Amino acid sequence: MIRLLRLLSWRHFLRHRLRTALTFSGIALGVAVIVAIAAVNHTLVSSFQQTIETVAGKAVLQVTNGESGIRESLFPIIRDTEGVLDAVGAVEGFLPVSGFKGERLYIYGVDFLSDSSIREHEFSDQFGFDQALDFIAQPDSIALTESLSRRLDLALGSRISLATSQGVRSYTTRALLKERGAAKIFGGSFALMDLPVAQIALGKEGKIDVVDLTVEEGETVEAVKGRLSPRLQGAAQVARPKERGEQVESMLTSFRVGLFFVSLVALFVGFFLIYNTVAVSVIQRKREIGTLRCLGVVRSDILLLFVAEALALALPASLLGILTGLLLAQAALFSVGESVNNLFLQIDLTGVTLTLREFWIALASGMGVSLLAALFPAWQATQVSALEGARQTVWSPRTNGPRSASMLGWFLLLFFPAMLFLSRLGFGPVEKFTLGVVAMLIFLLGLSFLCPLFIASWVKIVGRGLFRPSFLSSVESRLASDSLYRSPVRSGITVATLMISLAAIFTIAAFVNSVRGSLLSWVDQMVTADLIVSSGSKTAGPMNVPLREDLATGMKAIPEVRVVDLYRLIRSTYEGKPILIESFSAQASAQVRKLPMAQGDGERALRGMAAAEGVIVSESFQSRFGKGMGDTIQLPTPSGTVPFRVLGVYVDYSSDSGSVLIDRAVYKHLWKDELVDAFDLWLSPAADQEAVIRKIKDDYGERYQLFVSTHRQLRAAVVDIMERSFRVNYAVEIIAVVVAIFSVVNTLLASVLDRTREIGVLRAIGATQSQVRKMVIAEAAWIGLMGGVLGLLSGTLMSYHHVVYNTKALTGWTFQYYYPLDVAFLCVVLAVGLCLAAGYLPAKQAASTPIVEAIGYE
Amino acid sequence: MIRSIDVHKVYRQGKSEIVALAGVSLDVHEKEFVVIMGPSGSGKSTLLHLMGGLDHPTRGEIVIDGQIISRMPDRKVTLLRRSKIGFIFQFFNLLPTLTGLENVMLPLILDGHPTKPARNRAEALLEAVSLASRRDHLPEELSGGEIQRLAIARALAFQPPILLADEPTGNLDSKTGEEILQLLRRINRENGCTLVMVTHNREAAGYGDRIITLRDGKVEKEGLQ
Repeated sequence: MIRLLRLLSWRHFLRHRLRTALTFSGIALGVAVIVAIAAVNHTLVSSFQQTIETVAGKAVLQVTNGESGIRESLFPIIRDTEGVLDAVGAVEGFLPVSGFKGERLYIYGVDFLSDSSIREHEFSDQFGFDQALDFIAQPDSIALTESLSRRLDLALGSRISLATSQGVRSYTTRALLKERGAAKIFGGSFALMDLPVAQIALGKEGKIDVVDLTVEEGETVEAVKGRLSPRLQGAAQVARPKERGEQVESMLTSFRVGLFFVSLVALFVGFFLIYNTVAVSVIQRKREIGTLRCLGVVRSDILLLFVAEALALALPASLLGILTGLLLAQAALFSVGESVNNLFLQIDLTGVTLTLREFWIALASGMGVSLLAALFPAWQATQVSALEGARQTVWSPRTNGPRSASMLGWFLLLFFPAMLFLSRLGFGPVEKFTLGVVAMLIFLLGLSFLCPLFIASWVKIVGRGLFRPSFLSSVESRLASDSLYRSPVRSGITVATLMISLAAIFTIAAFVNSVRGSLLSWVDQMVTADLIVSSGSKTAGPMNVPLREDLATGMKAIPEVRVVDLYRLIRSTYEGKPILIESFSAQASAQVRKLPMAQGDGERALRGMAAAEGVIVSESFQSRFGKGMGDTIQLPTPSGTVPFRVLGVYVDYSSDSGSVLIDRAVYKHLWKDELVDAFDLWLSPAADQEAVIRKIKDDYGERYQLFVSTHRQLRAAVVDIMERSFRVNYAVEIIAVVVAIFSVVNTLLASVLDRTREIGVLRAIGATQSQVRKMVIAEAAWIGLMGGVLGLLSGTLMSYHHVVYNTKALTGWTFQYYYPLDVAFLCVVLAVGLCLAAGYLPAKQAASTPIVEAIGYE
Repeated sequence: MIRSIDVHKVYRQGKSEIVALAGVSLDVHEKEFVVIMGPSGSGKSTLLHLMGGLDHPTRGEIVIDGQIISRMPDRKVTLLRRSKIGFIFQFFNLLPTLTGLENVMLPLILDGHPTKPARNRAEALLEAVSLASRRDHLPEELSGGEIQRLAIARALAFQPPILLADEPTGNLDSKTGEEILQLLRRINRENGCTLVMVTHNREAAGYGDRIITLRDGKVEKEGLQ
């Protein structure tokens, strides 16, 4: 077999370099997308794990309470737990560096005297005991990493200004850290402060974010954890550092599953490209196969030869794909990291890595898909008779037609609702989503198998003269459509490839459109304020710097400001899983705020919330934890676990982890937190918005590094964050288009090749070059039209299912389905346009075929 | 009617050159039935292809009805071929997806003739070759002789003054081959068509007025029957 491969296949590859290169690139591209997405997914989680573990130092247990923090009064209880050797508290957070645009420092506040038992901070040579005492004694001390000091030109003794919760504050660089241990995270954008200084800077007075623990010799970690947990009384949670990383993994699940879905689409489209190429190769080498059969090669060897050929191409292509994927991942990581930083949490992204398991999965995907795709055309190759080598007829026998493919197609279409039904049963969100995606793929496969039937019907329509473009005569039109029907399976595969590519493009477009539409409509309902004042970032989230609430007094004093409400957003946990806690004053904004509700009456729920009767949960919370209106949920607060009645379920797209809305007064009381992420301002009708913005900026802008956004700007910021998070999807759209073009060029070239003699005859009996060109172009246009219409129809159904059911299953979010009419129109135009462009080369080749050569061709 | 003046045809195959015609000069007169014979590789089919404007000579001229076609652009040669030359091939070369009637109509429709007159003309031609009853059959449903008659009918679609036939009986049994040759002879006599036929069959050659024998790309001998 290897000799046959070397003798026949290798030469075939060399002779058809362009097609070989197209297939090779197709496989490599598909594998590259899988690898890139796997590597990005893996890197996201491992980066966070690594950050936690690096910062955790020698700690074997960590006590945390999300962003709610732990009351300092809890610290002695933790420290004095039996079996605890060392307990060190710390606060952490990001603060923008004033005067350096885009520069943010990860501030780590620790007890300088006791922290060395957990972490080893290596200072540069000049930092001795006296300097350490001096550092603690001065309330403006900060230690920067050596690399940051070099980058920002901040030597020892220089001042650095940070936009803190108290406004911009100036600190003195009193120590330089070597980039080892915790100091190497976030590329050196790391700063160490003494605990009380950091608490003030981050607005966390009286609170600790994390207590790191080591255990005494002879104690097991689990035993200490078991003893400590009840002592915390729900006011904090104790876990191994690794378990904290797993929490984040669960927070990113839907984001990662979404990315995986995208890589699946790339693989699915890649399958069709490989099929197409092998099918073309079989047609092209019909005579060669016949000769081989004459020479005694048995059918099974022919099958093996074609499968081995596909695998021989797939192996180097997959390896190249893996390498390309890693490069792609490196490029995509920045964009994905940006989305994660905007939407979920700040992650220090390390270099892209690929585990051995992921390597094998990627390789197996490339090889497996190639094998699957090559099987049917390879089987077709076995059906070539030994007589084919000596055949002198102009036509090849008609195939059985699309009957068997159609039967399979109908079967899959009937099977697909069953899969849909199955996806609704009581599985977890990821399983529901996966089954939903599988159902859609079955639907697409069903339609793909029906493509030959659609082509046959189309040929009948054209044959009866029911449809004919004006630039074609009836015979030209008929010949063009006949050639489609000559190889219904091959033409069907191309139409199917185009359909799948367009369906993928349309689904992504409709999804983005629906998310954008729903988000904007939600922002309009949820954020009715005229102005939103925040620090660090325009939107509340991980990039935001929380501010003190006393700023509200000054804002309220502005005569044109009618209502000021204070909004706070923190990460917390429910049943050990990450959630968001949102709070605002239900009473202050009762007249101006309307909650978009999924369950219950918004006004009544807000009134109840203001009266401290309970909380409102988001629909993703309801979907994740099964708690809805009337239920009671136990939330961990710094004051211990507190039961809350659910007054209603509201629509919220802040996080698919689930959100709980609490009145600010209750929040402040239980969470002991007076910080504010955003001040929502409603102005009086006659107010001059620009004047109010100027006033706020003049009074506080510089001191607090404020962003004052109008409602319109906030909308734009939301759209911007969303668009950036969809960049990877757009990359897949481009791949789908490229694969579709490859496919159409391949099919048309094969069709021209298949009909070389026929084209020669047409030319001999008087067809001009332009007439031949028009026929091939018409064939391309019809492939485009059919692929476009089918892609649009299947894309419409798929996108509806994806937006309304799949996304709901995975995230709990209900999105309104917004039909992208412009994209729909563009899809059909794009399909026909691309096919016309793709048809140019084959048409040119057909028209310039030397007649004598063509007539003598077999 | 057809004049070949010192026609050379050289094919390049990789680095080597294959000389198919090495200076062929001959004349075919109007209404004449000329048979070109010769062993395999003598250049007879190449000469026929050059006469039909399907290929260009490497050197020399081909003149059809006073027009030098060897220097004409492709479109002009195509239009001339369409109106003045009918081709009959050994392997029939009909379009498999078109019915008998449609195959005959094809050249007319490619020329932009309206459907109805094209249909009438095709029906008359099918009648003339005794295939009226098989008009709606696909080529694969016809016998070898019927297919070749269909191909002849297609070649006559424009009433071309020249018919070029490349081994028209080469793929048929002797009885059917004879029928085809009689039909061609009849067309030559009744329609006044100039007929050039390539064959290596001596019996078939007997139907022609004149036989030109080629060997190694040159005219070896020429003589009347």
